[in-house]
Amino acid sequence: MEPEVLFHIGPLPITETVFFTWIVMAVLTVLSIVFTRNLKRVPTGAQHLVELAVDGIESMVQADLGKRGRGYTPFIMTIALFILTSNLLSIVPHAFPPTQDLNTTGALAVLVLLVAHGSEIRVKGIGAYIKSYFQPFWWMFPLNIVGEFAKVLSHAFRLYGNIIGGTIIVGILYMFAPYVLPVPLMGWFGVFMGVIQTAVFTLLAIAYIQVRLE
Amino acid sequence: MLEAAIVIAAVAVGSGLAMIAGLGPGIGQGFVAGKAVEAIGRQPEAENTVRTTMILGQAIAESTGIYSLAVALLMIFSFAFPMFEKLMELLG
Repeated sequence: MEPEVLFHIGPLPITETVFFTWIVMAVLTVLSIVFTRNLKRVPTGAQHLVELAVDGIESMVQADLGKRGRGYTPFIMTIALFILTSNLLSIVPHAFPPTQDLNTTGALAVLVLLVAHGSEIRVKGIGAYIKSYFQPFWWMFPLNIVGEFAKVLSHAFRLYGNIIGGTIIVGILYMFAPYVLPVPLMGWFGVFMGVIQTAVFTLLAIAYIQVRLE
Repeated sequence: MLEAAIVIAAVAVGSGLAMIAGLGPGIGQGFVAGKAVEAIGRQPEAENTVRTTMILGQAIAESTGIYSLAVALLMIFSFAFPMFEKLMELLG
């Protein structure tokens, strides 16, 4: 359940999480290069797939963020692809999906928070940003601060809890019936819940950015 | 030895009690799905929008259940497991 330390580089321990994050990064980099090598004006073959994915994410982002959503598409798409690849890694035996570590999901949630607050400061200015913490009354300030922290915590814990919950249930079944029975359950928790949780994390990231921009 | 046994028993009961929180999300998610079916029945052309909103709402309703799962796991892995290993050492 806990990520094990595989080896050390100097004083830095390299855990399973870091190692499999590298693998996810390598897979995504290679796929990106292969899929975008010779793009044509009239798409053929694999280019259909890529255009479908980009169009889907772009329409999702623009539905919530309007015209300025175009600039956020690469960020949202990167998060979605990273989480999807990590979640699908849980159906590979002996692999450790990086999203099964609270550090990964926490880092992603903090990243979304920074982007949301950064873009609010850029769009509205620092004065309006500070003022928004004293809305609707000045004594609501502590509640607003706690609300922001709660968002990050729930964002991180939702993804982590879902992935580790699936892993534990599959693991318990694996102890009783090691060969055939866990496969459909792995499909349910790894593929279906993995895709749903990716969509949920992405949609919530867009929603959190939208809330700060309004 | 008795202390370790008491800690393990208390953690087992406590994790079970924490997972009672699973009731809430179950009821909430069922309610959301029912309302979504009503909405699609009334306006079949809005099916895609309703489905997206439903899944997002259900995932947010699920958070409380996930928190209770995190609390239960935290108790088991950080309190019960070390005690269990200690107990096994004492028993030889």
